[in-house]
Amino acid sequence: MNERNDSSLANAKPALWKNPYLGFILFGLLISTLPLFAGWGLMKNSTLNYIGSVLVYTVAALGLNLLLGYAGLISLGTAGFMGLGSYIAAYVTKDMGMSFWAAAAAAVLIPTLIGLLIGLVSLRIEGIYLAIATLCVSEILLKSFEQADSITGGMQGKSVSYPVIFGHTFNRSTTYLLLVVVLTLVMILTHNFVNGHKGRALHAMRGSEVAAQAMGVNLLQYRLIAFSLATAYSALSGVLYVFFVKFSYPSVWNLTLSLLVLAAVVIGGLRSIYGTVVGAFVVWAVPDLILKNIPVLGRINGLPYIFNGILIILVVMFAPQGISGLWQAKFARKKKERENGKEAE
Amino acid sequence: MSNELGTILQLFMRSLETGSVYALAALGIIIIYRTSNIVHFAQGSLGMFNTFVVTYVFLSFRLPLWASTLCGVAAAIATGFLVDFLIIRHTKKVSPLAKQIITLGLIMVFLGLAPMLFGVDPLSLPRFLQSGDFSLGIAAISHNAVLNISLGLVLMGILFYVLQKTKMGLAVRTTASNEPVARLMGVPTRRVTLAAWALAGVLGCLSGVMIAPTTTVTTSLMDAVQVNALFGCVLGGFQTFYGPVLGAYIIGVGRNFLVYYVSSIWGEQIMYLLILIFLIFRPNGLIGTKFVKKV
Repeated sequence: MNERNDSSLANAKPALWKNPYLGFILFGLLISTLPLFAGWGLMKNSTLNYIGSVLVYTVAALGLNLLLGYAGLISLGTAGFMGLGSYIAAYVTKDMGMSFWAAAAAAVLIPTLIGLLIGLVSLRIEGIYLAIATLCVSEILLKSFEQADSITGGMQGKSVSYPVIFGHTFNRSTTYLLLVVVLTLVMILTHNFVNGHKGRALHAMRGSEVAAQAMGVNLLQYRLIAFSLATAYSALSGVLYVFFVKFSYPSVWNLTLSLLVLAAVVIGGLRSIYGTVVGAFVVWAVPDLILKNIPVLGRINGLPYIFNGILIILVVMFAPQGISGLWQAKFARKKKERENGKEAE
Repeated sequence: MSNELGTILQLFMRSLETGSVYALAALGIIIIYRTSNIVHFAQGSLGMFNTFVVTYVFLSFRLPLWASTLCGVAAAIATGFLVDFLIIRHTKKVSPLAKQIITLGLIMVFLGLAPMLFGVDPLSLPRFLQSGDFSLGIAAISHNAVLNISLGLVLMGILFYVLQKTKMGLAVRTTASNEPVARLMGVPTRRVTLAAWALAGVLGCLSGVMIAPTTTVTTSLMDAVQVNALFGCVLGGFQTFYGPVLGAYIIGVGRNFLVYYVSSIWGEQIMYLLILIFLIFRPNGLIGTKFVKKV
């Protein structure tokens, strides 16, 4: 897990390990074996469901990480856009009877366009307005999910069946594999984006907005790019959610979900792809799979929220780079110790 | 015709009541923003938590409502102190963005604490004045609404008087305008910030107690208040103390009229859309001036 990003560590490895894609693909292969364990009875099916939804949320968190980590902007509309994506995907496949691909395309494009519009309005002003504007939009969306019965099924929610892709009807384990494949692709895409020339401009912006501007980086344009990507990722995550969980309720897409996605990004570590994955596991899987099973403590209402809330505050106060930062610091220290040891010899 | 006028007047009175709830919450947000440079996303959650305290004391110990509310106010001061003492005070070196993330974390903490301490069942809180209407000829307004409106106005009047006319208010305003310089000049900025968090907590608690009788006391009690109070701040601009209050009243009035005259289902969404459109033309709010960032 440590061979990415940190170039000093990567240099120590054989050339093959320098290829960052290999890490992502290995990671994908690793988590795609989990249904086997469930099949052998070593893991509960419900655990697999939890892990599947963590993967779904990770996609949204990766998008928010681009926005927060590089553009330094908060979006509180993650859940709203996820919901929008899920309802569009459900409507296109179920009510319009169109294919999975059409549904996925529509469900990602429409929210992204809306996101672009909101970005155009709110990004011209100092940073904080995006958070408020997206909060506003997610309120509008949430209310609309509840009211627009004919499309969203209102409070009863909307159900879909597992996707049919290339004439092959998916079941739960194959849909899980679909999640893994999409997540791996998204990770590779994010890696490429961040290390491409647009990513470099974002890096420059992060260092100093004024300096980046002087170097010819159009701030509005790059903020918009980051925000549209975050929106597109959330919408994609919504699509995956609806096909994996097979249901979409308005109550799922509330502010709390947006906050949890933010928590995953902050706890995992800004600008770290693996960190985000770990953050998502901490935020969703730890409360559901571990905390709930602790005897007395597990029965306390609201424990997951307290856990995540306190964790966010602690991370911001004491470890601003999150888990990935702690991890890297540990390796940097070890390396230093090794070098010091050599010098002593 | 007079009937129509009556409806408008009635709506306006009701809007003033919701407006004061939003205005109190917005005032809490702006006080925190000005003194700690944080957009306080947890104002509603703190208010929700302290309203739970009021409801719990009222239902379990059978205290009168005013006494329960005083308990809530005390709890609000305590939570405000705690938040500043344990967290905000130690974030001097943290970026404004990270401070906002802290308030988002606070939302989750209180969202979890409320069901942990007070259970998951929705509770209900009665109004201060159970019955009675003032008749204004063509419109009527309940005694309780009058109480809420006047309580809001009186509280805000006192606060603005303190802010503008007293030495304490001067300390707050100097902290708001430049915290490091204020500290160098001998203003006890730590105490100002501490007081600001307590005050914001109290304002949140009071707005919670006012809104609670119209619905049930659950963790989502203050969601709408928080959102509308934030938009009040955006509408009024973050640069003055009175702008957000004005913005909150405008939202209260606008919302009720849109819900009544345009659409009961889509009224609120239209209101939010209008605010977004307003932001295009006046990004710094009604009373805002452009904030120029110096390098």
